Amino acid sequence: MNRSEILRRRAKELLSKGEVKMVVGYCASSQPGVAQPFFATTPEQAEQLIFDATCSQNLANFLLKVKNIGRVAVVAKGCDSRSIVVLLQENQIQRDEVHILGVGCEGVIQNGERSVSCRVCEYPNPLIYDEMLGEQAAQQAADTAIRMADEDFTRLTPDERWRVLSEEVSRCIRCYACRQVCPNCYCPVCFVDASMPQLVGRTHNISDNMVFHIMRALHMAGRCVECGSCHRACPMGIDLMRFNRRVAKIVKERFNAVAGIDITTPPALTRFSPEDAQEFIK
Amino acid sequence: MKNRIISRDELAQLIDRLVERVDVYAPVREKNGANWGKVGSANEIYLEAVNTHEPAKGFLFPRCEMILKFDQSGNAVEPGLPQEQVVFGIRPCDARALMVLERFFTSEGKTDPYVQARLEKMTIIGVACNRTAPACFCLALGNSPHSSEGMDVLLTDLGDVFLAEPRSEKGEKLIAGLAEAEVKHLERRTELKERVESEITGRIDTTRLKENLPKMFDDPVWERLSLPCINCGACTFLCPTCHCFDVTDETVRGNSARYRVWDSCQFALYSRHASGHNPRFNPAFRYRNRVMDKFYYTTEQMGLISCVGCGRCITVCPAGIDIRQTVATLLSFIDSTER
Amino acid sequence: MPETAQFEPKIVAFLCNWCSYAGADLAGISRMHYPPSIRVIRVPCSGRVDPFFILQALQQGADGVLVSGCHPGDCHYLTGNFVARRRFAVLNDLLEFCGIEPGRVTFAWVSASEGERFAQLVKEVTEKVKKLGPNQKLKKDR
Repeated sequence: MNRSEILRRRAKELLSKGEVKMVVGYCASSQPGVAQPFFATTPEQAEQLIFDATCSQNLANFLLKVKNIGRVAVVAKGCDSRSIVVLLQENQIQRDEVHILGVGCEGVIQNGERSVSCRVCEYPNPLIYDEMLGEQAAQQAADTAIRMADEDFTRLTPDERWRVLSEEVSRCIRCYACRQVCPNCYCPVCFVDASMPQLVGRTHNISDNMVFHIMRALHMAGRCVECGSCHRACPMGIDLMRFNRRVAKIVKERFNAVAGIDITTPPALTRFSPEDAQEFIK
Repeated sequence: MKNRIISRDELAQLIDRLVERVDVYAPVREKNGANWGKVGSANEIYLEAVNTHEPAKGFLFPRCEMILKFDQSGNAVEPGLPQEQVVFGIRPCDARALMVLERFFTSEGKTDPYVQARLEKMTIIGVACNRTAPACFCLALGNSPHSSEGMDVLLTDLGDVFLAEPRSEKGEKLIAGLAEAEVKHLERRTELKERVESEITGRIDTTRLKENLPKMFDDPVWERLSLPCINCGACTFLCPTCHCFDVTDETVRGNSARYRVWDSCQFALYSRHASGHNPRFNPAFRYRNRVMDKFYYTTEQMGLISCVGCGRCITVCPAGIDIRQTVATLLSFIDSTER
Repeated sequence: MPETAQFEPKIVAFLCNWCSYAGADLAGISRMHYPPSIRVIRVPCSGRVDPFFILQALQQGADGVLVSGCHPGDCHYLTGNFVARRRFAVLNDLLEFCGIEPGRVTFAWVSASEGERFAQLVKEVTEKVKKLGPNQKLKKDR
């Protein structure tokens, strides 16, 4: 039985026994190669659930949306499960509210290509789950081209780096799809909407666009699981993973922390050590 | 007004002549298709994509527009008048959308001076669609891939030449002097039109929608329909007719500027009142708002459906939501409750 | 070029009330000379400094930003500067990644008794920012 079939069987069982009120998963959309988040509340609806390489969205995002329904089951890839860990650590959801249906993932395919985030994924299997649906996914070799491109980038001069990144974010139309699709972005009032004082301008001025992306990346430090949902959601094709990979690297190298892999270790920026490196401080 | 024909060479020359005088915007090649760009010559134009990634609304209603500058002494500077520009290669759905935007911005006896100024300085040369993409559904709404609404001239690629149909004085003047079209050209165009129209088979009963949507306002079906929606602004920003905006003042060391920027009914704070009350706090209400605006509210306000069937909201939605499916679900719901 | 010779950088300095601000005060009272490039904003603690402050200073046209607090272990609020240290570390690396030149944004620990050290720090930071030239990146024009 493939993962979709196991998922459908289990979803039907969980729903008909009343163990969960809803199964949050994916279904096919009207477009080939694109899946839609799907919310099955009856065994009949569960028949539409699928799991394959088109399942791109991070479903942990929807756990906050359906909080008041009751106990829900959620399909979780490796990255999604890490997001669930972060949400649990931040007390946004309770462990007994979710029944995690773990799935191994070989990578999301968008527009015929394996998504950038998946090409360097180190956690294809869920780290937290109530049951696994089918086979574990094999760990695939990381795309060295991406790593090398990142390293090459650091060797550019500051001016060149600024030029490359500001050109990238110049396309940003401030639609906030990246923010909305991210499970970590759940602030009732986002910093972009703050007024009195206004923290960042609302026009797509390069300076404001850069501040938006720098600050969102910073707010993700120690929390971003590099699922790539933001990158795939961007209607303007901005390479958001560059920022996220960099922040994750900074957190890993400085604080030896990776988001969402150990529920007992709070996120890196919520704690500190008297021994933290301070070579950059005069 | 006389229909004319224009060869590829003549078209290139016309464009190159225009480029010398005014800014010309046309679809240009982009990574995964085409998008609007300012062209320096006709050979930069790329018409092989079914449509541009972004709609043409930015030419009338820019994403960010400075409408006033002022300093602390109260010296105010208004923006200069827009330059003449030519928008070449716009598709019928997007041109119709410009007409919808014009209607919105000049409705109820009020005229938006910024939009009006741009419109007066704009020449719109459209190109008919001879093929569609899977997400296209202009015909489902009673529009056509060969429509010339909103254009000064409609060009149709007949293979060896283009048919050029003027729709305004501006358009007529632009193509005056070209050879007149013959019956065989018009017949070829009809052939192409019928062929492309057969590619879009779905039909949306907009009349039934219009009549029933207001009755469904409080229906719980919206909660279910809106579950996958993450309320980002992608659909609204890439929609050719979405026209909500915010006005924001920004000051840098005493110098201020007032901007009009795109806003979206999908943003949580869009409908927040000064009192703090937010009638669309529930994300389902925001999703409902977009669908109702496109298929009902604008019919009340302007007498037309503001969705033009371009399909961008479908291809750009991070949650894969298809507005055609939403509408079909609503219509089937109307059916089942009517029985 | 004559313009560069006359470039006097504007540096916004966020100084924590208990240590760095007092240290700056001591420098002043002791009549120690340092370049008049800094514009001081007093904050209760370095932990109060939101990365937005730093970015907004640059957006508003500051050529450089200095953030200074108590030495680790000496924070008046016990742990404020520890929290800040992690935050600044990530911000500093991220800004450098984005192409903000090293030396535009400087972090320091200066205690209340380190008047001379404060003066020296401002001299160094001003020299560095002068060499980098006026800030163009992140600056908003109106």
